[in-house]
Amino acid sequence: MLTSLYVEGNSWFHRLPVRAKLIALLLLSLSLFTTQSLYLLAPAFLLAGWLYFSLGLTLRQALARVGFVFFTILVLAAVNFFLLPLPEVAALVLRLMALVFFAAAVTATTTISAFMDEITVLLKPLERVGLLNAADVSLALGLVLRFVPDIFARYEAIREAHRARGLPIRPLTIIGPLIILTLKDADTIAAAIDARGFRRQ
Amino acid sequence: MNTRDLVLIALFAAIVVVLGLIPPITLGFIPVPITAQSMGVMLAGCIIGAKRGALAFLLFVLLVAIGLPVLSGGRGGLAVLAGPSGGFILGWAVAAYVTGIIAERFIHEGQPESHQFGGFFLASVVGGIVVLYGIGVPWLSAVTGTPLLAAATGSLAFIPGDLLKAAIATLAARAVYAGYPLLPVRA
Repeated sequence: MLTSLYVEGNSWFHRLPVRAKLIALLLLSLSLFTTQSLYLLAPAFLLAGWLYFSLGLTLRQALARVGFVFFTILVLAAVNFFLLPLPEVAALVLRLMALVFFAAAVTATTTISAFMDEITVLLKPLERVGLLNAADVSLALGLVLRFVPDIFARYEAIREAHRARGLPIRPLTIIGPLIILTLKDADTIAAAIDARGFRRQ
Repeated sequence: MNTRDLVLIALFAAIVVVLGLIPPITLGFIPVPITAQSMGVMLAGCIIGAKRGALAFLLFVLLVAIGLPVLSGGRGGLAVLAGPSGGFILGWAVAAYVTGIIAERFIHEGQPESHQFGGFFLASVVGGIVVLYGIGVPWLSAVTGTPLLAAATGSLAFIPGDLLKAAIATLAARAVYAGYPLLPVRA
């Protein structure tokens, strides 16, 4: 149900460490926003696009992933077209699309576990200050992945119950029962976690 | 934070994921289809309160960032955050927090039902619309260069749909409050 957006592959970008990719993304976004020059933005756009399309995604998959964001960018560009001079609109579109390509490339080449390892490292300072527990974050993430299929099955059961009684399927009559039924499990799940001593408290 | 709060946060984030899998509703009088997921912010604040609601959304945004297609329509990944509407996604946690603060302040047991409806609606509108747009629209304007006024005017088109969402969230939150109140026991 929840398959990650990671794409199997062994390109040089796949082999790059996550931290390097995230830092590159950060630097790229900071540097692209400092320039207005089309001579810098157009090559950045082409390079990021080339990188993204060379990762082993089929053209269709690749476009489906960024299509929605590009659609928003183009709609806003159409608005900008009437408000701003043309070179500026072009710069804005190229800059955003380059960033989106690069970000999509990072997502496509990084596994969930690699991201999680990096997040654990990033959370270390917060843990030291006592703000949170990095292990809790991984536990919460694991719980989400574990319970999404269950909650979806519950949604389908409630929908079937509506059908059986000839009721129209409205979000209002579905969301209430779905949330109550799901959150009522919290006590049992929490007891099960504590009984196993996962959080060592 | 006790284990129960941690579980509530994770379960609510999972509910928001599932709300993204529900087919969107199209209404005749509003051009944009309404996704159940976009009600999540209002629901989170009104149902599990400020702190847990905000943490549930931080967890959800983390899922987006690490490349799980949890946004409605199977979207996700860093590309969405880098796009023009990234500010709305990052603003969800703040919006859920404000919704929760208002709901915690105004909703008490033994109030007349109408006060509870009013409180939940106020919380949903202020947190889920005012605060969310207050973060998302300037962000969009900064990222895309669209003048702030034009961006703000354009987003007015979404307000009727958002008010409808706030109404649905109010009714759902009040139903949950009556059936299984979690708001009073704060994290």
